Amino acid sequence: MVKNSLITRDLILFGMLGLLAVVLFILDIFFGSLLIPFKTILQVLSGTGTVNPEIKSIVLDFRLPKAITAVMAGMALSISGLQMQTIFRNPLAGPYVLGISAGASLGVAILVLGFSSVFTLGFFSISGSWALVIVAWLGSALVLFLILAVSVRIKDILTILILGMLFGSASSAIVNILQYFSNESMLKSFVIWTMGSLGSVTSSQLNVLIPSVIVGLVLSFFSIKSLDVMLLGEQYAKSMGLRVRNVRFMVFTSTSILAGSITAFCGPIGFIGIAVPHIGRLLFKTARHKILIPSSLLLGSIVMLLSDIVSQMPGYESTLPINSVTALVGIPIIIWIILKNKKFSSV
Amino acid sequence: MSNQQVNITVRNLSVGYKKGKKMLAIKEGINVDAHSGELIALIGSNGIGKSTLLRTLTGFQKALGGEIMLNDRKLCSFSVKELARVMSFVSTEAIRVQNLRVWELLAMGRFPYTNFMGTLTEEDNKIIKRAIQQVGLSGYEDRMIDQISDGERQRAMIARTLVQDTPLIILDEPTAFLDIRNKYEIIHLLHDFVKKEGKTVLFSTHDLKISTSEVDKIWLMLDDKVVEGAPEDLILGGNFEQMFHSDKVYFNGESGDFMLRKTSLGSYSLKGPEGKTATWTSRAMQRIGLVCDETNPLVVITVPLQEKNPVWKVEINSVEKLECTSLYELTNELFKRLSLVSIWPD
Repeated sequence: MVKNSLITRDLILFGMLGLLAVVLFILDIFFGSLLIPFKTILQVLSGTGTVNPEIKSIVLDFRLPKAITAVMAGMALSISGLQMQTIFRNPLAGPYVLGISAGASLGVAILVLGFSSVFTLGFFSISGSWALVIVAWLGSALVLFLILAVSVRIKDILTILILGMLFGSASSAIVNILQYFSNESMLKSFVIWTMGSLGSVTSSQLNVLIPSVIVGLVLSFFSIKSLDVMLLGEQYAKSMGLRVRNVRFMVFTSTSILAGSITAFCGPIGFIGIAVPHIGRLLFKTARHKILIPSSLLLGSIVMLLSDIVSQMPGYESTLPINSVTALVGIPIIIWIILKNKKFSSV
Repeated sequence: MSNQQVNITVRNLSVGYKKGKKMLAIKEGINVDAHSGELIALIGSNGIGKSTLLRTLTGFQKALGGEIMLNDRKLCSFSVKELARVMSFVSTEAIRVQNLRVWELLAMGRFPYTNFMGTLTEEDNKIIKRAIQQVGLSGYEDRMIDQISDGERQRAMIARTLVQDTPLIILDEPTAFLDIRNKYEIIHLLHDFVKKEGKTVLFSTHDLKISTSEVDKIWLMLDDKVVEGAPEDLILGGNFEQMFHSDKVYFNGESGDFMLRKTSLGSYSLKGPEGKTATWTSRAMQRIGLVCDETNPLVVITVPLQEKNPVWKVEINSVEKLECTSLYELTNELFKRLSLVSIWPD
């Protein structure tokens, strides 16, 4: 039996991570180009006291949605990375390296550049937002199923990663060609999208993003038990009574929704999906998804909030692109993983 | 614990692959049986289709033709879930999942029985604990499976089949990559499951010597057919000789093992006491290519009496006399002299 001391240790760790996430969430709202006193922010968030309506608007309409988006992005990307690592039994799998984010971009590009009429609906309207996430899901799913089709024939982990990158590059190439042939106004709206960041997500887009992420996460909760046995590989999983095809379909749907939604609204954000599950494994010393999924949720939020705080460059007017910050945070962790498993055996 | 028993009946089975609409049969017309309480070894040379047959029997691959029955029911009529309660499986692939404890690996075996979150009941914990004890891994519960030895990991994988609690266990080369002691221990474990719990255990192997001395039945895959029987039946029936058509290797029906053919250097006979020393002197002679011939030997060796500081006395062609203090010296001297004789015959 797993010792009680280990369970206690896990609970304490979860408590500390939860606390850290809350603190960072509040700090993320606190930092910005305009200095707002801490007390005022707490007042706005708790709805007590009288606050200048302009300040209130900055906090509630800009900083709060951005912090919520950071949490959503962190959770969604980490869980999709974790699921990919288990399903492909590959420690370096993640939505970005496998080209799933690029697939989502392709979907968005086809929508924005190919069917401008959709954008007469308005980029920021609810129906426009739904159109945007749905094409992103489809784009992600397309790349995922291409990788799956290849991975049936090729078992070699590095080959699959390289193919994922190739699919990603092919998607980007198609996006470039679409840009070349599109007119100025379409191009402009697409370029605005590619520069997307956590801060560009509006409250109305959050109404689409939050339910999408929740659906993706709920699906991943349903696969907890199955993902554990998938660690031993398809053959063992099947011999223990798992319907591998069903689980794979559920996990791919979840990953497409999670990675697709985030890419649709925030643009491609790299390396969080690979790195965060490994931090979870390192802290909790486990391979069980009952622990890894909640730990990836918390750690993903923490890393994303931290990256966002860094990208604000507290004390400066301008902000750094979030994708560069996550790359600088994630890449050292990935190098450490490569050095640690000189043989790319398995998760 | 389930008290179910499973008999396998295989009739006119074809195994192989489908490529498009083409059927690539690797083996056809397989008729074999396995009964509960039997330990069965599947033997055959590399590439003859052992793994394909096992994959077909475990339902990972569809049969191209014929029938597989588990008791009175066709294998293909079982759902994945039903099959998981009848049959468990250990593959050749070494599992190297990081951060997975022995206990957690075994707990996965309860997959067909636990609820949607995989929560273990008291009963489940008892079953896991019992399996750990049965394979001799007590005290290893919290060890990570990538930090234990190959033999220990294989025992953990086998314990997982006990946890899965199936009357039938199929293992693909469970003794590959293990040292001799671990090979025997694994076979011994499987033997125990069969005799004490009435399970049916089928495993593929290349370890002829261990299997001929431990299993109840052998399924022997030959180029043109699959034969079955007690190991001794197959040896007496001359079936193992058909395993290879090779002028380098032959099957020794006396020892029950394959041996390398050697160019004959001549003949020998032994004098002196029978026993361990005589047996191993004989073995040494056969190793360098001498055949036993009591009537007209080329070399006559007198086996030493005492075990301490033994001396072998040798006569070659009734003339040349030698004294050696070890079999190493003896084989070297004989080899030197006899191969000279055969190179320049007079």
